Amino acid sequence: MQVVIFNGSPRRKISNTKLLINSFLLGYKKATDTKVPVYYIASFNKKEEMLNAYKNAKVVIIFFPLYTDMMPGIVKEFFEDISKFKNYERKKIGFVVQSGFPEAYQSIFVEKYLEKLAKRLKLNYVGTVIKGGVEGIKIMPAWMTKELFANFTDLGEYFAKNNEFDDKINRKLRKPYRMSKIKRILFSIFSKTGLTNFYWNGNLKRNKAYEKRYNRPYAQK
Amino acid sequence: MKITILNGDLETKKSDFSDYIEELVKQFQVNNHIVDVFHLKKMELSYCHGCWNCWWKNPGLCSTKDDAEIIFKSYINSDFVIFASPLYVGFTSSSLKKISDRLIVLLHPYIEIRNKESHHTKRYKNYPDFGLLIKEEDDTDKEDIQILNDIYDRFAINFHCEKRYLKSVNLNTEKEIVNASCNI
Repeated sequence: MQVVIFNGSPRRKISNTKLLINSFLLGYKKATDTKVPVYYIASFNKKEEMLNAYKNAKVVIIFFPLYTDMMPGIVKEFFEDISKFKNYERKKIGFVVQSGFPEAYQSIFVEKYLEKLAKRLKLNYVGTVIKGGVEGIKIMPAWMTKELFANFTDLGEYFAKNNEFDDKINRKLRKPYRMSKIKRILFSIFSKTGLTNFYWNGNLKRNKAYEKRYNRPYAQK
Repeated sequence: MKITILNGDLETKKSDFSDYIEELVKQFQVNNHIVDVFHLKKMELSYCHGCWNCWWKNPGLCSTKDDAEIIFKSYINSDFVIFASPLYVGFTSSSLKKISDRLIVLLHPYIEIRNKESHHTKRYKNYPDFGLLIKEEDDTDKEDIQILNDIYDRFAINFHCEKRYLKSVNLNTEKEIVNASCNI
């Protein structure tokens, strides 16, 4: 077993993370016939199998969504588990972090942790890919996600050939790094019209929860 | 003051860290503060499933039925929160991270621009400031502390509050933590 992918999204098979992995694997398969198993970290009933797959892999890629500025708690637990293994130092490890926030900047802090984690576990760090603005890609029309999926396909093909991420594609995916002044002004204008809440309000109304949207059920004072 | 302590120690039996927390609770109480302390690993707590029912189905309510509800109530009604945990592979424990993930129930899904970035708007009027109390690992270095500081500063931006300190049980007494938490 050469390469193993771990999907760290708590949403597992219905996750946006899975869509990115699918595109990545599409590109990977263009370059090689070698199969790449994908494990879902949230599938706790397969934990032993998952940890064995980690041990046996030569290259590990962990995809996860940004949860409260870091990896989700289940991914942290996975890191705690693999830290107990000794003598797996020569393994290569890379990460793909996606977030709902549009700016890549929000994920650069976890990137620093991931680089240090690899160093701490004496693994060969091959980098972290960051992509913001991923929430909602499941319901976006194809023309809106075409470039995103194409970039992940290219990323997968490059990885199959080189066992590392393509810096050029990674830089492209990190855009926007921060919100430009113009975008911030436009956002502020649109937010006054309610346009920026369109996605949320649509779902709230569909669930007959719109009138309750400002509820504070845990307040005691 | 009302203080909430989230103890992320993964050791459920006796440990130096949890003994320290026990003594810290006593010190707060001696100073007439009300303390809720939760040893997370001893509770029935699931991870955040990312279902977003709390944002668009039952606004403000977590649909996972376990011990988290009492923590949500304690957290949002506190004057100060302490995120307490020994470090495990350079960061606070998975138990503490799991409950931190679920605190998004306390935020509103709407987005606003703050610090020139997109962030979720408030659901509640006030959010408590917090302190970070850690136990260092043998190999903890300055870089690890910087990473922790940066990430919990980010958490503070997202949760409409301030991180008041990062302190270590290796270096600070319980009394110092009480003083830092209450600005005495």
